Amino acid sequence: MNVLSVQSVSVSYGGVHALSEVSLDVGQGQLVGLIGPNGAGKTTFVDAVTGLVTARGRVALDGQDLTGLPPHARARRGLARTFQSSELFEDLTVTENLQITADRPSWWRALGETLGRRVSPDSAATQALSALGLEDLAHASAHQLSQGQRKLVGVARALAARPRVVCLDEPAAGLDTAESAELGRRLRAIADDGTSLLLIDHDMSLVMGICDHVVVLEFGKVIASGPPAQVRTDPAVITAYLGASAAQPTAASQQHGGTPSAEGPSKVATTTPEPS
Amino acid sequence: MDQILLFAVLGLGQGALIAGIALGVVVTYRGSGIINLATGAVAMASAYIFWALTSGFFGFTLPTVAALIGALVAALAIGVLIEVAVFRPLRTVSPLAKLAASLGILLTLQATVLLVFGTQPQQAPSVLPGETVTVLGITTPADRFLLTGLVIAIALALGALYRWSRFGLATRAASENEQAALLAGLSPNGISLANTLLAALVAGLLGVLAAPIVQVDSITLPLQVVPALAAALFAGFTSLWIACTAGILIGVLQSIVYFLSTQSWFPTDNGNAMPGLQQLLVFVLMVVALYVRGAGLPRRGEAVEQRLPAVPLPERLLRPALLAAVVAAAALVVLPFDFRQALTNSMIGMVIVLSYVVITGYVGQISVMQLAISGTAGFALSHVAIQLRVPFPFDALGATLLATLLGVAAGISALRVRGVSLAVVTLAAALAMEQALFGNTSFGGTAGVSVPPPRLFGVNLGPGADFRGLDGNEPSPMFGFLVLAVTVVLGLYVAHLRRTGLGRRMLAVRSNERAAAAAGVDVRAVKIAAFAISSFIASVAGTLYGYNFGSVSAARFTALAALGLIGFAYIGGITMVSGAVIAGLMSTEALLPHALDKWFGIKGTWALLFGGVSLIVTLIANPDGIAGAGHRRRAAKRAARAAARVSEPDGPHPEGEHHAPAALDTTEVAS
Repeated sequence: MNVLSVQSVSVSYGGVHALSEVSLDVGQGQLVGLIGPNGAGKTTFVDAVTGLVTARGRVALDGQDLTGLPPHARARRGLARTFQSSELFEDLTVTENLQITADRPSWWRALGETLGRRVSPDSAATQALSALGLEDLAHASAHQLSQGQRKLVGVARALAARPRVVCLDEPAAGLDTAESAELGRRLRAIADDGTSLLLIDHDMSLVMGICDHVVVLEFGKVIASGPPAQVRTDPAVITAYLGASAAQPTAASQQHGGTPSAEGPSKVATTTPEPS
Repeated sequence: MDQILLFAVLGLGQGALIAGIALGVVVTYRGSGIINLATGAVAMASAYIFWALTSGFFGFTLPTVAALIGALVAALAIGVLIEVAVFRPLRTVSPLAKLAASLGILLTLQATVLLVFGTQPQQAPSVLPGETVTVLGITTPADRFLLTGLVIAIALALGALYRWSRFGLATRAASENEQAALLAGLSPNGISLANTLLAALVAGLLGVLAAPIVQVDSITLPLQVVPALAAALFAGFTSLWIACTAGILIGVLQSIVYFLSTQSWFPTDNGNAMPGLQQLLVFVLMVVALYVRGAGLPRRGEAVEQRLPAVPLPERLLRPALLAAVVAAAALVVLPFDFRQALTNSMIGMVIVLSYVVITGYVGQISVMQLAISGTAGFALSHVAIQLRVPFPFDALGATLLATLLGVAAGISALRVRGVSLAVVTLAAALAMEQALFGNTSFGGTAGVSVPPPRLFGVNLGPGADFRGLDGNEPSPMFGFLVLAVTVVLGLYVAHLRRTGLGRRMLAVRSNERAAAAAGVDVRAVKIAAFAISSFIASVAGTLYGYNFGSVSAARFTALAALGLIGFAYIGGITMVSGAVIAGLMSTEALLPHALDKWFGIKGTWALLFGGVSLIVTLIANPDGIAGAGHRRRAAKRAARAAARVSEPDGPHPEGEHHAPAALDTTEVAS
């Protein structure tokens, strides 16, 4: 059964259709990539799924309908996310940032805790830190971190909730190639441990290298979806990223070479500047 | 009907003043992003200077026109001073800090006027002709129409300036996106200065012209900024035209309400008309404006990240708390009676500032209402104890519970409103409660209502208890002990709160509501909890006030007093319990002002001036307050010591990160 199932979600701002009828499924332990040129609606999709923007359509987690629930209720049922600009809680330490999501608060528990009852810290926070190799930063204050560290702490914060699925909004932006590859290995391991991931990123070698399934958005619509090898050679995708003129020669060269080389087109896509 | 029309026309005078101040507020906001609570105070200052110049206060008398010019020059000078000394250095701080800075200006201006001109209200001569005109069969003074026409002309002129001049274009650009305007080569400082001067000029002019109609005094005139803020809210802090119209209409409505209150059918309170309905009207209008316009203010793309004061984790709680408690208990016994009273007042001040630590320090919401909630608890205590004959401590508990419920209800209805808007609307609420609730003799009354002393098992715990300390005078240290116990318990509670999950969630909400919601934090529930805790603490302080003086009177819980307390809280350090302790020592009739008065003869007004100036200095030089600066120094010293210790055995550590967990049961998952 699918862990996250999104059916025909649409978002419009006034007359602008930011997303139209986007459907997407993420299975247990699956790592699904969501790519597309800038402005394609990737972040809007995550906002819609997590309830931060109002959207039409249906969102279900483990078969439970989440439609209409406020963001925090969705998060508590196991739908975690990170932000593109890694919006950490600046006044808290890294560990405290993680405890925010690890805690399962109730009125009663909060009252007892403020009156001095001891609460044993949840191990989820320390586990999430070690899953991303951030143990050394545990007591650092969030506003002291570098941009790359902030990204990783953002991912760890999402994992500390022990979520069913995490939507990662460009976690590798701002990381160098080696760090990005390292993050990729860790994400793959997290998915193999059973936490489903939806990964948005512009680093094509990262997305193509670790994802089980890739969905491509353009202008708020799904234009391609399938395993990375298939998406990579899809003419519609190449047109979206490189323009119509690029689609022909690339497709032709692949026909010439028989089996498409693993690096070829993905390398092209990686080194191409983003159409803005 | 003629009567209503007459009062409507008479209200135009007040309306023009409100509209003028509202224009000043909007112009300042567009120019510099600051909601300037001191706009009314600028009007007051120039009205006083005009009065002084025409009445020979400075030893010479000027003709009216020269005095008018002199007053306007003074308004411009105040504008330059505000811009250069306050707005410019605070260009990049958070909107809340900017609001607090304008509060500092308000306190400073008010104290200066009080010190220079005294507390006596003054009647300035009228600049406008004193003739009357007859319109629609009623005879009214012509100055009302002239004033209204003038304010409309000013609004039109300003509108034209913004629409068609290069300066106006630059202002609009900067108010939409300061960063982009900066990159396009516009100078935010120049734009802000020009707009601040314009605002000062308009407010000063209206202050001088309308003062003869509304009387010049140092309390009502600065507080005319509250109805002006309601008008500015209707205008979304952008539209000059709406601000002007709404301001005039508010003045007219207030006048009509005043007329209605003279009618025989109007509800009365001990033979007088119900008080405070004009303030209540302003509050209701603000609520309407927030619902009509939405709770958000237009945002500017400010150039720099805007951090709020840091909220450090308290390391040790019990030891400093016990130490302070022992010192305070000894002081209560040893000190002479006047200092004993001042110490008790200080501790009650600490308790009320603790309520600001929770709501403003931890959650980042300024609620001016908290002192009014204290007042509600104090008055409720009198009723519960005297009329219902409930014994101590249940009378205090009942009153506290009642006022807390009121605070929570207010908090729930304000959930949509946040940040600066919340400060503005709670200021109006505080003013409305001050006038309508505390001014009403069936609940409060300016004369005060009495509160019986607290007695437990026949032992008097109040200020009149038998045990009288070393000098044998009232107040008894017994009551001091009671207040001390409450202060220590609540202080520990608030400090401990920072270490709990709820405290972490409060800080998460403070730094980013969206991210907090996405992280599973119920933002509404956290805010309600914060309002509940803060209101509870404020209510406890209110009951202590009541026992302290044996009576409760409206004068202690005014909106201006609340603004002053917020100022002291900022100076002390609004995010820390130690900051609340410092703020409490500085508050009204507390140890510091008492000592200054007794030893150096420095009166309360100087303390107000000192408070206003040091609030501004604090915001510019040391935004974490005195307590925050102390904490930073200690932390830096500790870090340096630890770094020295670490670097000796095994070389330098990266980034001074010295307490990495030694052994974690790492589940290394990397492939």
